[in-house]
Amino acid sequence: MSNNAKDYTIDELLTVLMAREVKNTDVMIVGVATPMVWAAFTLAKLTNAPDAIYHYIMGNSFVYEPRQVTLLYLEMNLYRAYKWQNSGECTLECLPSDTLTTIEFFRPAQIDQYGNTNNVCIGNYDKPKVRLPGCAGIADFSMFYKRGQFFYTPRHDTRTFVPSDDLFFISGVGFQNGCKSECGGSGPQCMITNLAYLTFNNDQRRMQIGTIHPGVNVEEVQNSTGFEVIIPKDLKETNPPTTEEIKLLRERVDPLNVRKLEVLAGKERDELLNVIIEKELNKQNKFPQVLK
Amino acid sequence: MPSSKVMSLKEALSTLVENGDLIGTGGLSFWRKPIIACRELVNQGKKDLTICTFVGGLDVDILIGGGCISKVKSSFVGMEVFGMAPNYRRAVESGEVLLSEESEASIALGLKASYLNVPFMPLKGIIGTDFPKVRADIKQFEDPLGTGVHLMAFPKIDLDVALIHVNYCDEYGNANIEGAVWMDDDLAKTAKKTIVICEKIVETEDIIHLPRRAQIPMQSVAAVVKAPFGAHPTSCFPLYTFDPYHIQMYMKMEFTEYKEKFISNLTHAEYLERVGGAKTILNIIL
Repeated sequence: MSNNAKDYTIDELLTVLMAREVKNTDVMIVGVATPMVWAAFTLAKLTNAPDAIYHYIMGNSFVYEPRQVTLLYLEMNLYRAYKWQNSGECTLECLPSDTLTTIEFFRPAQIDQYGNTNNVCIGNYDKPKVRLPGCAGIADFSMFYKRGQFFYTPRHDTRTFVPSDDLFFISGVGFQNGCKSECGGSGPQCMITNLAYLTFNNDQRRMQIGTIHPGVNVEEVQNSTGFEVIIPKDLKETNPPTTEEIKLLRERVDPLNVRKLEVLAGKERDELLNVIIEKELNKQNKFPQVLK
Repeated sequence: MPSSKVMSLKEALSTLVENGDLIGTGGLSFWRKPIIACRELVNQGKKDLTICTFVGGLDVDILIGGGCISKVKSSFVGMEVFGMAPNYRRAVESGEVLLSEESEASIALGLKASYLNVPFMPLKGIIGTDFPKVRADIKQFEDPLGTGVHLMAFPKIDLDVALIHVNYCDEYGNANIEGAVWMDDDLAKTAKKTIVICEKIVETEDIIHLPRRAQIPMQSVAAVVKAPFGAHPTSCFPLYTFDPYHIQMYMKMEFTEYKEKFISNLTHAEYLERVGGAKTILNIIL
């Protein structure tokens, strides 16, 4: 394709691939501290899913209009919410609904071949090496979603992708033992990483490579995965971002690069954080720009 | 009208919170957390509290650092894009505080059960997770009405005290929240005693004219405390956003030093001066 972008970064590739998963009828669940998902949903609003609805967990509110991604003024994106709920309503009544087609991207600390996930601890639960923040609603919703579960991680490695026995805690239920959950959801759909777009095999309900990103080879994916990943016979390459998608993302959706906080580490991340804070504090009108 | 419930934060917390209480804090993550009350609890040297909050952050971390907490009930405790909550992580990893592993629904349902005065509420989620392995007080059961559906029973959460930061409140406890409510109305109506900390005290007439009126009604409230910028360094929409510089400093500083500088026996005015005074306020105001 002639309009493929020539240079793009890993965060841009992941964001674009996540955006392409959104359907026009979806309710997009924007969780806490996931700016890359938020950027993806906003990109989807400007491209393939203009009528999709945001459901911001940080406000338990439904919002139609897309606004620029922000770090400090995220509550202002809820200012024109057309419906507020309290967390009880949101958690108990609305999200596990059969009538809403919800899409939410979870970023697991660990995931096994069946899409079971852990966001609770690394090491033994009672005496963990690392206590993670917790699974929030993943334990409630992962097995319900009619459209299934969507995963992403910018760190495709054997610490994240582990065999079932090495999961320290199951806080999100995938195709447990290769079966669908009795709660009725469709189960894991895809896992978008820095190396590949992975799907789940229909018969075995195990992770398989859907498409492989340009410049990555099969051995690299397998070596970075702690279990045997199914490799389809006619392996295709991931469609890279288009110039249009990259332009929208960089110039309109997330010009502050808030999404990059999810991929950077150490000093580089601290520096970006400081730049974002300074730029945002200097704004007179704090409302994130409405994107039309 | 009933008599006024307005009192100082010191009086409210010293008379209404006892060591060993189960306390609930409102807000979510970095937003509208009753941080001034957390600092005062540390100053009063409260001990052995269990904290229940939907999504915790600085509230949980400051109270753990201050030695007030023996158990945490929360679906998520973190510092958002700033990282993991340092005191929380250390205390859980060392076994210094106990956990009751929670999801969002387990807290939402626990509060609902308390309000309805039933011992548990059923939930269809959670099944298949490792929650039953670490929660001896939950149980899977089959629908007693015979549909064959499997459910999980979650126990009620009876709060002793709820601490809620709001935008507006009248003297009697009719409180209005301008942004997201999260779990705060449920916390307030189920707690035995609710302490509302507000940015501004208004008249009942004003509450009636505000959209959504009193999300927390006066019959649920035991004390009203006025504390403008009391949620700092978290936000109180649409008045001010969270203070990123202060949170960055919190993440870098040893807690003993932080406590010495920003918690120990400071008046609210002194605190606001120490965190940057007018410059900080102009930074965060929306």
